[in-house]
Amino acid sequence: MIEVSKASFYYPNTDEGALNDVSLQINSGECVVLCGKSGCGKTTLTRLLNGLAPSFFDGKLDGMCQSFGLCAGEAAIEEYVPIVGSVFQNPKTQHFNIDTTAELAFPCENMGMNSTDIQERVRSCANEFAMEHLMDRSIFKLSGGEKQKIAFATACMLQPKLLVLDEPTSNLDYKAIQELHDMIAKKKSEGITIVIAEHRLAWLADIADRFCYFASGELQRQWNATEFLKLSNEEMQKMGLRPMDITSYRKRAKEKTKSEMLGSIPLMSAEHLLVGYEKKKPVYEIDRFAICKGEIVGLMGSNGVGKSTFAKTLCGLQKPIAGTMEPVKEKERLKKSFMVMQDVNYQLFSDSVREEVLLGANRPELCEAVLEALGLTEFADRHPISLSGGQKQRVAIASAMLSGKELIVLDEPTSGLDYYHMTQVAHLLNQLKEWGAAVLVITHDEELAAGWCDRVIYLEDKGKKNGI
Amino acid sequence: MKLRLDPRTKLFLLLLSNMTLFFHVNLITEVILVSILLSLFFFSGRYKSGIRMTLIYGFMVSAEFLIIPYTEGVFLNFIAMFSVGIRMMLPCVISGAYAFSTTTVGEMVCGLRKIKVPECIIVPSVTIIRFFPTIAEDYRQIKNAMAFRGIASGKLALLRNPAQSLEYILMPLLMNSNNVAQDLSVAAMTKGISMPGIHTSMTELRMTAADGCCMLAGVMPFALYFGGVL
Repeated sequence: MIEVSKASFYYPNTDEGALNDVSLQINSGECVVLCGKSGCGKTTLTRLLNGLAPSFFDGKLDGMCQSFGLCAGEAAIEEYVPIVGSVFQNPKTQHFNIDTTAELAFPCENMGMNSTDIQERVRSCANEFAMEHLMDRSIFKLSGGEKQKIAFATACMLQPKLLVLDEPTSNLDYKAIQELHDMIAKKKSEGITIVIAEHRLAWLADIADRFCYFASGELQRQWNATEFLKLSNEEMQKMGLRPMDITSYRKRAKEKTKSEMLGSIPLMSAEHLLVGYEKKKPVYEIDRFAICKGEIVGLMGSNGVGKSTFAKTLCGLQKPIAGTMEPVKEKERLKKSFMVMQDVNYQLFSDSVREEVLLGANRPELCEAVLEALGLTEFADRHPISLSGGQKQRVAIASAMLSGKELIVLDEPTSGLDYYHMTQVAHLLNQLKEWGAAVLVITHDEELAAGWCDRVIYLEDKGKKNGI
Repeated sequence: MKLRLDPRTKLFLLLLSNMTLFFHVNLITEVILVSILLSLFFFSGRYKSGIRMTLIYGFMVSAEFLIIPYTEGVFLNFIAMFSVGIRMMLPCVISGAYAFSTTTVGEMVCGLRKIKVPECIIVPSVTIIRFFPTIAEDYRQIKNAMAFRGIASGKLALLRNPAQSLEYILMPLLMNSNNVAQDLSVAAMTKGISMPGIHTSMTELRMTAADGCCMLAGVMPFALYFGGVL
């Protein structure tokens, strides 16, 4: 079992504790969800439970945090390996190997098991989670959901007593979350203790036994599952949490697929469009598409259906395989559009925020006004690398506004965000809309789509070609 | 059945092909060795790369006989550099291409462990291989990002303004690699990469008769050359 008593944790060079005086007991076989706004301390607690802090993530620990006999700060990371399995947030950066089978075998190899036993265990694990079809594949060719499944399976390979998951679903679509949910439910039924730090809560309704709410490093409240399910969406929002019940949002997002375009003159349009990277391998077919200035359009659909390929084609990064587009030329479309990538780090090039937003700007005279509107004035002279994820996002958007782009595409801007930060992004979308931009949001976030998009375009699986 | 060689054999063949450069063996020895190496592609079912490599090498060898005797002056220097200089490196390229294209990372790690290479060399090498596809992916993203900002990112821009282009590519690349490296280390540590004691491999490697034959066949041209037969 897990025992945390009066635990406080301070990262180096900070005065405020990431965790403050937290006491918590988790029994064997229990499934506990840690929730709260970003920076509330839940990730820090998972790091104490799997031994990464203070061994790898340096810091000062007061009090005690013990998981299955191992005390954080006393036991070495290696001692945790056979006891605790961990899954992290980013599907792209937690696989050490290039192919899936090697990844599953990796923990066993490190424990020095012999080759026959490892093969047997890999086989039974693939069988247990019904993922034989994922074996012997290149991890780089898997979808985000498949990558997370492999990560979870790898965490189970040494038959740990405790599984610690840190926001495992931030990048996943509905279906992938369901599949991960089923894998976790299976492990729970085997009596394994599970701790999940998570923003998206709805999928946990039937596996979690207890919910722990953190705010500024303190464990503020705990509910058992039945009590927690009774909380209304409004009460959850007040705490900055995502809703437990997203059916109404999903329904509203679906209804918005029927809405009409807000204006009459489209900024960009396409007909009978076939998108893809190779002529012989089309990815998706779209019959009709148009977007005009001053509207927010959500682009939804499952992982790998072709949302980003479509968006890239629209932005002029990619030639369509067939169909007509307006403007016709890729260069023209590229000149008009800007994409805020999911990983903003790729698009920050300069030494200071001001230089960054002025790089390639066509309307530099608006610089101060835009910085002010996006709340970036106080950071204008800082290096973009020192900003938080949300601030970086705004820097990217500011540079798009100053370069006079009219179509702004945002790729998953709210993945991994709590309710409070999600509404901030939503506010930003509205600002762009008022500024007169056409806003296209690629998203899995039903709550965002239902609340803030003017209409939703849903890429159904039936339009999918066999290109991927 | 397709031929599968032990990574140790491949390493040995790679060393042998380096010998052609080192000892400056004559053309016929080189041709025999390269023919053996090329046949490996075909035995392993890699016909496409086999044919491509054969064509390139064949062209360079025939250039020596068909073109060089009939040319003069500056042009001769150029062709000679091409057909002799580059040709001499081809054995290494061919055996290297064979080794890389037919070995999985798992086999490589197991092979390295069998010849007792310390973990502190194996782990970084595997990490580097793991990083290549990541960097390729990152580079594509950055190029897209540059396109949106109107920063030229093509090869021309790289020639015309190398310092600036490199800065724009390297800054985000390094920024991101730093994050990726931290995430990867964390994940690898929870999976026991730093465990003391022996690390095993799921892949089992055994030297077979085929490995022996290939190594013997590889040594043969050298034996004949040094024995004075060739």
